[in-house]
Amino acid sequence: MIRINNLCYRYRNGNSVLKNLNINIKSGEFAAIIGQNGAGKTTLLKNLNGLLKPTEGQVLICGLDTSKTKTSVLAKKIGFLFQNPDHQIFCSTVFDEIAFGLKNTGISPNEIESMVYNAAKKVGLESYLKNDPFSLSKGQRQRVALASVLAMETDILVLDEPTTGQDYNEGLEIMEIVKELNAQGKTIVMVTHDMELVAKYAKRVIILMKGTVIEDGTTEEVLSKEESLAQSNLKPPQAYLLAKKFQKQGFFRNTYTVEDMFEEIISYLRGEQNACND
Amino acid sequence: MPAMIEYIQKDSFFHRLHPITKILWTFGVLIISFLFSTPLPIFIILLSNILIAVASGIFKQVFPAIKALFLFSLLLIVFQIFFVTEGNTLFYAIPFTNIGRVTDVGLNLSLVMSFRMVATVSTIPILMMTTPMTDMVVVLVEKLKIPFKFAFMFITALRFIPTLLGEIEQIMQAQMSRGYNSDTRNPFKKIIIIIPLAIPLLVSSIKKTEKMAISMEARGFASGPRSYYKKIMMKKEDYASLFVLISVIFITAIVF
Repeated sequence: MIRINNLCYRYRNGNSVLKNLNINIKSGEFAAIIGQNGAGKTTLLKNLNGLLKPTEGQVLICGLDTSKTKTSVLAKKIGFLFQNPDHQIFCSTVFDEIAFGLKNTGISPNEIESMVYNAAKKVGLESYLKNDPFSLSKGQRQRVALASVLAMETDILVLDEPTTGQDYNEGLEIMEIVKELNAQGKTIVMVTHDMELVAKYAKRVIILMKGTVIEDGTTEEVLSKEESLAQSNLKPPQAYLLAKKFQKQGFFRNTYTVEDMFEEIISYLRGEQNACND
Repeated sequence: MPAMIEYIQKDSFFHRLHPITKILWTFGVLIISFLFSTPLPIFIILLSNILIAVASGIFKQVFPAIKALFLFSLLLIVFQIFFVTEGNTLFYAIPFTNIGRVTDVGLNLSLVMSFRMVATVSTIPILMMTTPMTDMVVVLVEKLKIPFKFAFMFITALRFIPTLLGEIEQIMQAQMSRGYNSDTRNPFKKIIIIIPLAIPLLVSSIKKTEKMAISMEARGFASGPRSYYKKIMMKKEDYASLFVLISVIFITAIVF
């Protein structure tokens, strides 16, 4: 689905941001890209849909070479959600805002209506279609932006810190929608700083540091590499740190989310209870 | 990116001069260019501007501005030259016809006009590129008694140009990711096509302005008399340069 071969990217001032990246993302994956600020995460994402063209190497999206394809063409294959919804919202109704991308790609008016409605429904905004997007809350505006990307019905969805600047619930709502989309078979690539979200939702984690991949593997594998995480100013999720403390005392196995931890504890307590009852 | 007029850090004689000396220089160039009514001396003043730019090491950055001014002055010449009927005929724009008569007076007048324009206007980018904005504001407010709020408005407007260019880039990328395509040659379509960029830019600028106003107020903006951290003094070089400038003006005024 996404093939990155020896990708190097330098800005015009000579700053080398990405160095010889090789990443392969298959259909249906949920990959999180993490790393400290300035590691090149956003630059990598922008290389995926041709907003930036590789200095060296090659990026293939569904077989299309991004250096030879316009972003407006790649937009049919790959949806891109930015951190700040206010960079894209300009229409006077939510409906028009969601329909913008569809009109750009030349879809017929009859189809647009149902596609917009479906997209709005996925993000829970179907009753807001006639509202002015600027009158909505920040969390809702982010969902409008997400719907406008979803409406394009692309197979790949790229999210650049989709939960930044939102409260906890707003962030969770976005992530639940994304999880559902992944379950329906969409490929998700997400940049985030929130390790709890990574542990809870991602299936694969890639750590970027100074433009190179230092870790790439399943969420469990990568999140237990404390050294690599520390190098990138990151910390494993709290459930993992707590489980580590318990392990030193000889209890429990590795857990990464609160739910797993809870399961561990409850099964242990049940065991104790049964032992007492016997 | 368009040619930007902003301070370029260098350590040259002209850079070290007091901002007032440089402001007076721009007025001096203006006065001298209007004292002369033949093209050659004005052209020499123009050359002196370019020499100052070269000596200050900013010629590369000033050049686009001067080039643009020259193109504009060509336009001035074209609009002027054919409408002067006095004087002796030099030649016709289209040979062997009576169309486009050019007289010696007309040629002289239009050359004077265009050189004057380039000579006087080109001092402004040179002034801006050799003087830090903050120094300029300190001088304008302290020495020339311009209200600080006006000076502040001016400096902030200039400071925001690169910020807004960055913002446009972000917006452009967000819209391109949704299939927005900005290449069109049709000027009417160009106007429509700009809406998805203009509205988010407007909205975010207003928000930014609001935030900035609040944060400035929180730090006591306009709460009373200001003090300035930087003291800029006139030095020997300034007095010497001003002496040269004033003598040149006097000599031209008396001799010519």
